[in-house]
Amino acid sequence: MSPTTQAASRDTDAPLLELTDVATHFRTPRGLVRAVDGVSFTLERGKSLGIVGESGSGKTILSRSIMGLLPTHGTVRSGSIRYAGREIGNLGRKEMRSVWGKEMAMIFQDPMTSLNPLMKIGDQIAEPLRIHLKMNKVDAWATARKLLQDVRIPEPDRRLHQYPHELSGGMRQRVMIAISMACGPTALFADEPTTALDVTVQAQILDLLAEQRRERNMSVVLVTHDLGVVAGHTDEIAVMYGGKLVEKASTRRLFAAMKMPYTEALLASIPKMSDASHTRLAVIPGRPPDLVNPTQGCRFAARCPYAQDRCRAEEPPLTSTADDPDHSYACWYPVGSPEYHETRARLASTTNTVEAA
Amino acid sequence: MRYFAQRLARFFVVFFIVTFGLMILLRLGMNAPGDPARTMLGGTVTDEQIATANARYHLDDPLIMQYFWWLKGMVTLDMGTSVQQNIAVSSYIGSRVLVTLFLGLYSLALAIIIAIPVAVFQAYRRDTRRDKAISIVSFGLVSVPNVVMAVLMVLVFVRTLGWFPRTGEKIYPWDDPVEHFRNFALPVFALTLPVAAVFTRLLRGDMIRTLQADFITLASAKGVSVRRILWRHALRNSLFSVLTSIGLQLSGVVGGAIVVEQLFNMKGMGTLLVITILSKDLFVVQALAAIIVFVVVVVNLLVDLSYAAVDPRIRQMRSLG
Amino acid sequence: MSDTTSTGPRRTLRQRLHLPRLGVLFGTVWLGGLTILTLLANHVPAAVPFIRYYDTKVKVNGKVKKYGFGPGLDAWFGTGKSAEDIFARCIYGAKLTLLIGIGATIIGLVVGAVIGVLSGYFRGWTDRIAGITTDSLMSIPPLLLSLVLVLRLDDLKEQYSWMGWISRPWQLSLTLGLVSVAPFARIVRAQTMVLREREFVTAARSLGASRSRIIMRELMPNLVPAMVTVAFTGLGILIAAEAGLAFLGMGVEQPHTWGKMIDIARDDIEKAWWATAFPCLMLFLTVLSFNLLGDELARRFDIREAAV
Repeated sequence: MSPTTQAASRDTDAPLLELTDVATHFRTPRGLVRAVDGVSFTLERGKSLGIVGESGSGKTILSRSIMGLLPTHGTVRSGSIRYAGREIGNLGRKEMRSVWGKEMAMIFQDPMTSLNPLMKIGDQIAEPLRIHLKMNKVDAWATARKLLQDVRIPEPDRRLHQYPHELSGGMRQRVMIAISMACGPTALFADEPTTALDVTVQAQILDLLAEQRRERNMSVVLVTHDLGVVAGHTDEIAVMYGGKLVEKASTRRLFAAMKMPYTEALLASIPKMSDASHTRLAVIPGRPPDLVNPTQGCRFAARCPYAQDRCRAEEPPLTSTADDPDHSYACWYPVGSPEYHETRARLASTTNTVEAA
Repeated sequence: MRYFAQRLARFFVVFFIVTFGLMILLRLGMNAPGDPARTMLGGTVTDEQIATANARYHLDDPLIMQYFWWLKGMVTLDMGTSVQQNIAVSSYIGSRVLVTLFLGLYSLALAIIIAIPVAVFQAYRRDTRRDKAISIVSFGLVSVPNVVMAVLMVLVFVRTLGWFPRTGEKIYPWDDPVEHFRNFALPVFALTLPVAAVFTRLLRGDMIRTLQADFITLASAKGVSVRRILWRHALRNSLFSVLTSIGLQLSGVVGGAIVVEQLFNMKGMGTLLVITILSKDLFVVQALAAIIVFVVVVVNLLVDLSYAAVDPRIRQMRSLG
Repeated sequence: MSDTTSTGPRRTLRQRLHLPRLGVLFGTVWLGGLTILTLLANHVPAAVPFIRYYDTKVKVNGKVKKYGFGPGLDAWFGTGKSAEDIFARCIYGAKLTLLIGIGATIIGLVVGAVIGVLSGYFRGWTDRIAGITTDSLMSIPPLLLSLVLVLRLDDLKEQYSWMGWISRPWQLSLTLGLVSVAPFARIVRAQTMVLREREFVTAARSLGASRSRIIMRELMPNLVPAMVTVAFTGLGILIAAEAGLAFLGMGVEQPHTWGKMIDIARDDIEKAWWATAFPCLMLFLTVLSFNLLGDELARRFDIREAAV
């Protein structure tokens, strides 16, 4: 596949990203940490996918694994990662360097520490242009200026000559987006891009990302713990727990008819404006799972209110229903199943008895 | 700008305090009238000679006044007269100063030139066997006193290998570059290695810390090559500790130079200092000490200013006030 | 499916026996051995019959010969200019070197700590004045300052009879101690400023503890680790400094310390290399040992040393 600058001219039929049973384990003194333990999915061109999960679910490691940005010591990778038809899962850092920035780009959580404090903004944006597209300094800076305009930073000429500490947090994040867009990549991985920003700025950044995605026909993977972030800005959502993919569906479908109790609990834990005041925050009890010695059955069983014996004994496989093959989930007794309703009724009655007593 | 002014003011204050302090130190205990003159002239002196000396060198005046006279002299490069040799100090210390200057300059420059690539290599190949071996050698070098280093140089290079002469002659590069090199090589090497080891250790630590920063990962994710990341991104952000230690190392090098000059019988400031302190030739001592202190303080000032040059945040913070 | 064998790094023999690192082991053994030998040689010579007396002339075939023996069975480190046993001299000289070093470190640490704590805790003008003072002190190359001080003390001793108790070793201790005040003060000040912000200080303050109480009860105990660490590394440096001064002729007259031994033999370095090499070796290994121990302490107490 010969790389081109314009994302639009690529083959749009095949899925852009294909993951098959991808796993990333780390060797530590405590044992083998199974951070990502067998994840498979595909991503089409120009679509956006949200990967949601709590800390330790493996979502960040997953995105770094796809990019190949993991430390080399003590890391064990397996599984297949195909990008635009090409197997990249087994490539080393040296080979990946031609891919990074050019076809796959990443933006990080904290814009303050992600930019080189001693380097001018202009130089930092121009860098990938000069490396990948072999531009000279004048052209690169001109393109950088245009990129700053694309990400809606006012006074681009002045900003180019400034240093990161002279910009606000939101502007720095825009600069990061500009840097990642510079060579026209086909996929962008955004790792918690809004977590470090004010709420008002968050929306602007997410809108900016969506706009860029449409204009460049670029795929976006949005990794976050915040369901609110993915709600309005993704086509599909994948939920991760304990290093495994537990549910994946189109966004609309997920919110309308989720199958995993975990997803249900996540949604329930978001405080809503419509709730009465002093409503207790719904939390998911228990602690994140142990990634070194995972349990035999479903990883969420220990914290799932609907867990039954089978859940603890056997790990549920990823399945989908006949009427919606694109919605996959891994649960023995998903939301809506008879057992689910049974347990729910039982829980509700015990609460009532307690209150009545 | 204000940063610069602050630093400059501090430079002057320190310089004055130190040189004045030194003068007091040298004159301590010489309370009886005629004492300084008596001490400097040595041996038996007539009252007449004392009076002449007093008049000529203002030795009667209160210390503050003497200091001002001396300062005035230094600025106009009239450093007084070596009372014993009865010639102007400025005339004959020039060559000595030059010798030691070469020694010091070469040592520090060489130390930095050695330290940078070694530390970059170590930071990149962290925890490999080569990195560990270099660390062990560095630690050892840091622990070698200057005396020992110099002796080692002589033992290995002069006695065993015979590559270099035992004594460092005062040959300038413009006279005979090869001989200049041969004479200065061992003393410079003796001084450089421990300093290079210190720099290497500091730089390695800082580089490793920097390489863990987010912006380095981002640079990788942009497709920047390893070489460029190390030299263009990481190095510049890691110079802080080394810069800070340059001033301290310079002080050490001066001390080391005194020792090394002695061992190699070089005619530099160091050996002259020892002679004149012993013979109590006060003016010479003051002049030499002042030159040394001046250089050290200037270098510290330059280092302070270099922080601002390297890090734009410092440049702007200070100017805001 | 769970893994029963640990996939962590293998525990080495050393780890299992909880032995310290090689460097620390060597440093402790060397310093311990040296201290014992030198104390015995100086005070209980009968306990160490294998160490000749200080002045014994080692005769070659019945005759006193300059540099008679090279290193070997007759004299482990060879003999020197006056046919003395170099090994024996090295051991004897160690006592004074160590004592001077320890004396200087204590003086420097005590004075430096006081300055450091006061300027680190109170800040403001105290800090500024102390800062200028230490800066000034540090602008003078240590060797230069030491030279001037030692010689001036010589002169002053002649002048004022009450200063007669200041023997040469004391002169050196005082001088080196003074020279080391500034770096010690800097480090203690840095540590104080860090500790000052910690919760236990704020807690004590909120309980109404007076400032001196806070300093004595809260800060000082927590400064001890840093001070001990820095003392070891400082000792190494001060011993090297003492050797430098001795080499230049400013050292103690009798017994000869290593620096002076090197100085005496330096002109004959090409013929009788052992007379300079072995004192150098002793010096190096001793300084190295102090550095090794200081380094290990720093590791244990997690202290980032100022650039030494």
